[in-house]
Amino acid sequence: MVKNLIGYTCSYIPVELLAATGFRPYRLLHGEIRFVNEGEKLVRVDACPLVKANLGYLLANKDKFVCIVGTSGCDMTRRMFDVLTSLTDIPTYLLNNPRTDKPQIFYDEIDWLVRELEILSQRKFTDELLDNEIERWETARNYCRRLNQKRAANPSLISTADFAQVCISYHRGKIGFGFNIAEKISLQPRVYLLGSPIPYEAQSVIELIEQNLRIVGDFNCGISRFLNIKIKEKDLTGIKEAYYYQTPCIYKRPNNQFYQQIESEIKELGCKGIIAWTLDYCDNYEFELKRSERIFGLPILRLRSDLSLQNTSQLKTRIDAFAEMIQ
Amino acid sequence: MFQAPKPKKIGLNEWSEQFKLIPDQLIKKYCYYHNSEWGIYLSPPATFMVYGARELKRLKFDNSLACLRLWGFVFNESERLFRAKQIGKKLIATMGDLGTVPVIVMAFPDCVPFYPECIWWTPFFKESTVLLDTAAELGAPEATCFSKAALAAFYKRAYFPKPDLIFASTGASCDDYSCVMQLVADLGYEPVWLEIPLRKDSTNPEDLCRQKDLPKRFKNREITDSKFEIQNSKLEDYLINEYQLVWKTLVNITGSEDKNLLLKSIKKANHLRQLVARIKELTYTAAIAPLPALELMTIEFGNLYGYADFDEWIAILEMVYEMVKKRVEKGVGVLLESAIPIAWITPSADPLLLNFVEDLGLRIVATEYVINQALVPIEEDVEPFRALARSFLKASLIGSTQERVKRINTDIKSGKIKGVLITNMLGASHCAMETRIIEKLLSDVPVLTIDVPTPFGITEQLKTRLIAFAETLRSQK
Repeated sequence: MVKNLIGYTCSYIPVELLAATGFRPYRLLHGEIRFVNEGEKLVRVDACPLVKANLGYLLANKDKFVCIVGTSGCDMTRRMFDVLTSLTDIPTYLLNNPRTDKPQIFYDEIDWLVRELEILSQRKFTDELLDNEIERWETARNYCRRLNQKRAANPSLISTADFAQVCISYHRGKIGFGFNIAEKISLQPRVYLLGSPIPYEAQSVIELIEQNLRIVGDFNCGISRFLNIKIKEKDLTGIKEAYYYQTPCIYKRPNNQFYQQIESEIKELGCKGIIAWTLDYCDNYEFELKRSERIFGLPILRLRSDLSLQNTSQLKTRIDAFAEMIQ
Repeated sequence: MFQAPKPKKIGLNEWSEQFKLIPDQLIKKYCYYHNSEWGIYLSPPATFMVYGARELKRLKFDNSLACLRLWGFVFNESERLFRAKQIGKKLIATMGDLGTVPVIVMAFPDCVPFYPECIWWTPFFKESTVLLDTAAELGAPEATCFSKAALAAFYKRAYFPKPDLIFASTGASCDDYSCVMQLVADLGYEPVWLEIPLRKDSTNPEDLCRQKDLPKRFKNREITDSKFEIQNSKLEDYLINEYQLVWKTLVNITGSEDKNLLLKSIKKANHLRQLVARIKELTYTAAIAPLPALELMTIEFGNLYGYADFDEWIAILEMVYEMVKKRVEKGVGVLLESAIPIAWITPSADPLLLNFVEDLGLRIVATEYVINQALVPIEEDVEPFRALARSFLKASLIGSTQERVKRINTDIKSGKIKGVLITNMLGASHCAMETRIIEKLLSDVPVLTIDVPTPFGITEQLKTRLIAFAETLRSQK
């Protein structure tokens, strides 16, 4: 099997740099229950289900990966690299992603990553190479932004279930522009989706939500967070700044900026409610749910998942009730 | 004069009886903040049970005067913090870094550092879920580290006074406490946030970055320590920036600025760290354990901030050290000589477990309580902030799990440790991810992993597992 993927785990890792190696960036967002079960053999039951599934997936597909790049962002994801290094030969690179406002740490880490990836790929990341990659990925993001405008329109013209397929393609490193997305005008209550990552295999949850609601915006790894990244200067500095100054993750401290930016987006989109999707043991979101209710001042439906999707009927009832409530 | 009794572990009633033999002048001799008027703290442990530490009636303590002094001082901390505030001292909450920021705080006259997270023992000592329930009402999920008790304590303002300043360290550490600190900030406190960087462990780069099975063109890569050394040298600089921020903030609120006091503070911290290292060494290597595990854990954690009075804590430990030394010389102690040596990884929030394990005939001779940064010596011949940064870079949780348990593994290989007990908290981010690796890394000896239950949660099932673990170790002897 040909190794051609560079796995990555965090929205702060520049895909442009991963792609500059000549390999395909592949966001680790697996959630299939069989992978969760495999991963659970390596970590405790109370580990993040996404981390477990990613571990299970990587062990089953290790021959596909040239290396894995992660950050110190979520603690469990960071520690997944300890498990990986003890079980596989896949080279790993872990970046310091500061939680407090320390751009220099992030920039130094990106410089380090560039050096490492150059050595790994035996390619010099020239200005031209970076310029090409930035152009390629920025074009892909712009394409998604245009689709996102349709999703955000009032009334919303495309569903998040359909839009997410384009996003998945981006996360899997397959840049494409020929998606045939049929417009489905919706007058259903407009909601915002935020929380833990949405794995590839959990897209059915989005479909379930959109049976009676329309998701018009989101802040989840796995859907459209990457649209917050807009590279102005087409060079390494531009990459660093764009990735550092994206809408901050909820784990940044203090996280007021996260709330300010999301609140403003929710208002702009005219949402009537929020769906908070959290994975089991996701401290970064679960700790913030009460606070989110207070700050956003909107009804919040909390959906907690272990990725088994065993409770689909129950979820449907709860989503329906929420939809009725915010009609 | 009080005669040292034959060493053993005793309960509250026995301590109360024994306390009657202690002359008044001795009671008055020991006081915190050097104040003999209101700083007296020597009292029988039953006093603290009456004031709410209900678990004390189920615990057993070392029967020495030195340990009585230790417990009187430790349980008196809440009073001491309120008293500090009353007499105009500045209370500085140092959250999350577990070991370094207090050394800087102590360089400022009349500043008292303390760790709010150390209140995680309180629900267990009090046999009460009030703090944990309140934390849940404030947003903390059920399955998280017991350090969430600190959130409730900040909210209730009854366990410690409102700090004059809060330093909140976050970064490459556990998620649970970072989230707790954010919710504390949301209560209206304004912490100064500090960054904890990730240490990229370079002990064995071959393990960390292998190139087997890479396509041909990628195989020429030379793997050397330099991959990590360059990055890790920067970590010192990052930390120095953070410590300079701590320094400037303290200068602003105190009006004092004397770097010589920082040097003195480092010396003092080192004195304490050496003292603790000597006590541990004596205890671990003696034929008969001269000190129980519960007292030893309390001593180890005292390195963090001297329970809010560094001078008095050092004086107490000097007394403990002398007592331990005498016991070792006499060949006496508190456990049976046949007690089986084990290592304990990740501290237990419930002190009862330490008693229980010893009652089963086990003896703790090595620990990894996630506070390695508070145990290592701080260099005295380099610039103070750099020295502090270097000591912090030895922290338990900022690097790899492999690195964290390396020392324990060495002790296992030398035959010093016959078993390992890991205590976890359900949902705590590092526990969930590290435990299986630790079990694997230390698998040369039997390893038992248990979850520390909430107060009153030690079930017969849990006891049976510990009993079976002890039996397994005995059968291997």
